[in-house]
Amino acid sequence: MKSLKELFDRITQRVNINLRELKFDVNPFVKDLVPFHQLVKFYAFYGITPHHPLDFQFRHSNLAGSYFLGKCCTTNSILYKSDIRGDELKKKGDTCEFQGFKIPVSRDEAIRIEDSFLIKTLVHNFSHDPETLENFFIRNTVSTHYANIHGSPTDGSYLGPFATVDLTTMNDCVIGAFSYVQAGEISHLHIEPGTVWVRSPNNFNFLYRYPLNKLSHYIHFTAGAPPQGLLIDFVEDRKEAFQRVFETMNIDPSVTIPNNASLDRFAVIKPKTHISDNVLVAQRAFLQNSWMGKGANAQENCYIINSRLEGFNVTAHGAKIIEADLGQNVFVGFNSFLRGRPDCRLSIGKESIIMPHTIIDVKEPLSIPPGHLVWGLVTSPADLENNSIELKELTKISEGFSRGNMFFEGNGSSFVTAFRDRIHHILEANGALYDGVKNKGHAQKNQNISFNTIQPYPEGDLKGLYPTIIIRP
Amino acid sequence: MKNYIVKDLMVPLSEYATVQEGSTLFEAVLALEKAQEEFDHTKYKHRGILILDQKNRVIGKLSHLHALRALEPKTDDDSGFKELEQFGFNDTFIRKLRKLRRQQSAPLEDLCRKAAELKVENFMHIAAEDEFIDHEATLDLAIHQLVQEKLLSLLVTRNGEIIGILRLADVFAAVYHTMKECTI
Repeated sequence: MKSLKELFDRITQRVNINLRELKFDVNPFVKDLVPFHQLVKFYAFYGITPHHPLDFQFRHSNLAGSYFLGKCCTTNSILYKSDIRGDELKKKGDTCEFQGFKIPVSRDEAIRIEDSFLIKTLVHNFSHDPETLENFFIRNTVSTHYANIHGSPTDGSYLGPFATVDLTTMNDCVIGAFSYVQAGEISHLHIEPGTVWVRSPNNFNFLYRYPLNKLSHYIHFTAGAPPQGLLIDFVEDRKEAFQRVFETMNIDPSVTIPNNASLDRFAVIKPKTHISDNVLVAQRAFLQNSWMGKGANAQENCYIINSRLEGFNVTAHGAKIIEADLGQNVFVGFNSFLRGRPDCRLSIGKESIIMPHTIIDVKEPLSIPPGHLVWGLVTSPADLENNSIELKELTKISEGFSRGNMFFEGNGSSFVTAFRDRIHHILEANGALYDGVKNKGHAQKNQNISFNTIQPYPEGDLKGLYPTIIIRP
Repeated sequence: MKNYIVKDLMVPLSEYATVQEGSTLFEAVLALEKAQEEFDHTKYKHRGILILDQKNRVIGKLSHLHALRALEPKTDDDSGFKELEQFGFNDTFIRKLRKLRRQQSAPLEDLCRKAAELKVENFMHIAAEDEFIDHEATLDLAIHQLVQEKLLSLLVTRNGEIIGILRLADVFAAVYHTMKECTI
């Protein structure tokens, strides 16, 4: 395993060099976080469909338990149980509009991961950087459990557990646990844990900071120990169910799936779950005793338990919904944790937007009226008052306002429009709007994926490393 | 024209308002009042208080601004205004929010109670390297230090020990006299 250990050292060294200005050392955080013997234990797998380019290149990497789709390259990297989902990459001939320019895409875009260590990380979407249209790169980066790198070319950075970087080019940054950043372009920033920041320069700027003493109940991560807190316990408690789907070669769906819906064979579906038309359930999603209305989706690392989603619901990567009833068109952002109780359910009115990284955890019934924006930590009706606003009211904001720990500057209408457009795009891309002829999306295109597995060297100096593998049609 | 040096212009420590560490804001204000009463009334009034440790060494300085700042509600730290700039928020927006939060916070009606509770060392200013000057230094050098560092006073030292305070007002008065002499 000598080469694998050398590779690990090489990666952390490169990340540290990039983060030297922030005086951040990744070593204490990631050393022994994933024991080397774990890296040898799991196979990697890739999907083959007629709808996505088939172009994989793996060089000098460990890919334990990771999944690849589309056009992906890894070099000198360790990817542990990560999902590299290249099903929304740009294609040759597409055009990218940016500040009035129409920039043609000259070749198929690829996800290129170099000198990086990703742990249970989701990489998805496409590069939103007009400077690197064909190259969605992740370089010299360490990301930890359940981080999301979504449409965000990243260099020299560190992401804590449950951190998300969304549509943002990032250089030499530290993103703390459970922080969400969507800011276009950032560099040399140290974002503290529990920061939710959405910025569109000259349009709007939204910032919420979790009270750290309260956030630590849900997630905290200190050097020398694994991530801890309720979010980790919640996922760990359901780990076994996933072991079965990963260990079984042929697995039959336990529920009836309409022919325009897609249930990934690496998702866990527990009894009494209903899947309606145009539903998309991605790999590593967990559904139990839940109703998925027409066009609803559950993306990677989502958990939907004892809940009812009326339809056209977006449940973004890593979101968890427990004992809740969601009206139509409710959007639940990345890594949100929404938990009612059997005797006091959480209900969310139609067309509400639950901001990414929101925690709603109630011990008394809570009802969010339709058309509201909700953010931050909500454990009571009083918190809801402080951490929500009616979307109609928000559209009237022209300069800014603050409420509790939240600051908003700019045009509320632009903010709401940006969110609504994005939700529409997600529904469209996921195939929620498919009418039998038009608007095919992932729910229809991802139905028949073949999966191949690849394995590392089983022993010797190269133990744990995968041989160079190039897979093309 | 007189060639002033710092020790000609400084106020000796013995004439200045001082309090021991552990004193309250109220005690500091009383000390200032007393010092002003005893001070030569033809000169500018004292505007600060020096904080002394157990061995009567100066460990900090308290100006009017520091005292008022201590009485301000601590909304800035609580609501994270200081970090808003880092996240790209506009200065005008931050200023408006500050004012709004200030208006919403408790008024200064409990001033006396507060002044009696606050300990001077919690909000005194600890002098930086550039705020000291030797007692034999020239007026030129003192002016340079005051202007460069935008200071209202300098602590005057002799063999590393603080012996007085050189105030901007006294330096200005000396300059003014020099100017007049030149004109004549």
